[in-house]
Amino acid sequence: MAAPLPTFVGRRRPDWESLQGLLARQREGGMGLAELRRLDTLYRRAAADLAHAQTFYPGTDVHRFLNQLCAQAYAAIYQPPRERWSAVRDFFRREFPATLRAEGRFVAVSAAFFLLGLLLGALVVLLEPRGAELLVPQGVRDYVAQGRMWTDDILSVAPPNAVSSGIATNNLTVIIFTFASGILLGLGTVFTLVNNGVQIGAITALCAREGMGLKLLDFISAHGPVELSIITIAGGAGLILGQALIDPGELPRAQALALRAKAAVKLVLGCAPFLAAIAVVEGFISPGSLFPTWLKALLGLTLGALFWAYLLRAGRDTAASSTRLR
Amino acid sequence: MSASSPSLEVATPERVALTLPVAGIGFRCMAWLIDALILFFFWVTAYFVFSLLVSDVLGLFQGLSGLAQTLLVLGAFATQWMYSTLVEVFFNGQSPGKRLVGIRVVRVDGSPVGLYESAVRNLLRAVDFLPMLYTTGCLSMLFTEQHRRLGDLVAGTLLVREERFDLDKYTAPAAQASLVPGSRVATASVSLGARDVELILAFLERAPWLEPEARRRLGARMVERFGGLTEEERTAVLASAPSTEGFLRALAQVR
Repeated sequence: MAAPLPTFVGRRRPDWESLQGLLARQREGGMGLAELRRLDTLYRRAAADLAHAQTFYPGTDVHRFLNQLCAQAYAAIYQPPRERWSAVRDFFRREFPATLRAEGRFVAVSAAFFLLGLLLGALVVLLEPRGAELLVPQGVRDYVAQGRMWTDDILSVAPPNAVSSGIATNNLTVIIFTFASGILLGLGTVFTLVNNGVQIGAITALCAREGMGLKLLDFISAHGPVELSIITIAGGAGLILGQALIDPGELPRAQALALRAKAAVKLVLGCAPFLAAIAVVEGFISPGSLFPTWLKALLGLTLGALFWAYLLRAGRDTAASSTRLR
Repeated sequence: MSASSPSLEVATPERVALTLPVAGIGFRCMAWLIDALILFFFWVTAYFVFSLLVSDVLGLFQGLSGLAQTLLVLGAFATQWMYSTLVEVFFNGQSPGKRLVGIRVVRVDGSPVGLYESAVRNLLRAVDFLPMLYTTGCLSMLFTEQHRRLGDLVAGTLLVREERFDLDKYTAPAAQASLVPGSRVATASVSLGARDVELILAFLERAPWLEPEARRRLGARMVERFGGLTEEERTAVLASAPSTEGFLRALAQVR
């Protein structure tokens, strides 16, 4: 027979309060072995009390209190391994490139969509010059009509950094959106990829028609290779989400999505520092005539090659052994 | 906690089922508003402090070296996007707004969020925000059982409520009880179930804020139902609000 509620509370409360105290200590960090043992004992006792309350005092505040207390203790005791700073190093040394290699086919499909957009945009403008009115923003067209680069003008008024920071945040937004819109069954990602491809293709073709191809090359060659690679990778991450939704395999959709999203977000997080770095190149080296075109092109190709060499080679030897260990 | 309110069931290795109440759309909007306010005031204060130190802010900004300026803008952008993820990871699933409202992000198995889950759910704000002011996210919260927005669905997370409980009410000394003549009689004759005790304690907790008339009427009904008193004892107990409630407290806290 169960004891009256106040008796139960009065008898067991000291244990609950010391468990709350220990949990507060645990959050601050640095518990001794004795305290950990005590935490374990108190948690088990509280769990037993919860079971008791579930049977004899259901729906009371004591029941809810114990529920919450046990949940907090459960979260503290069964913690997943915490990410530490060494994990960041390990992430860039091994995990990010390894994930990219494992998900390579998504990145390839994403690249294919982007190229498709690029070809579409370029073909439309090359075959039908008036198509440019549809595909190229008004401001850019005005500059091209006058035979100037739109980047020259901004530079003469404002220092290059204003352009750089504007470009960087714009690119970051595009990257985030390319990934996140994968949740719309992957359609959002596909649209963003093709759309960006069409725009870049159309602008390139328009410049080429107006005899400004070299000027455009001068502007984009230093940062283009790495930047387009990153957009492609973010697209791959978005497609992973879409694929998990469309074809979850043997798991329920929600679980498949959560599982695959982890791989996808690794790709996006891994790209972030490279994107910030390439934004600096885009702001300082690409515009203006400080550097000759051939140097910019060489730099761009080198950076692109280094980026992909890192992605394809880094952590290759350790990857096999560590996956086997798990 | 009504039976219809959604909850997260967690089966622990100790063979006890935990039931965590899930935070609904109202709590979440509130927490978001507070966080947005915090970020807003952070920028306002930062600007004012800065303008106190430097007279010509715009001039200084334009005069900055290009690299410093780029880093500044990148930093501001990163603050906006990384705020939620960083505070969620470092403060165990609670941003300042969530802490104030009393909600916490957890994984679907009840464990604390990690960096990847938090990054996923916060990056997906880009889609949840569409077309404006989290319309997509709110629709998703309305149509999913546990009020999760798209970011939560993808990350495998949800928000649980944390309530404050006052256990004192079970053990608070029944100071006035001994003054009441009927109390000793009652304690001997009645034994109450946990639900009855909870009902009486809930009444006692709220009594000071009730209208006097309602307070007297409810108290009288409680005494009628649980008291088991003779006629004159009842009249003595019902004489005043303190004596009624003292009697009820003694009744509920009988050991």
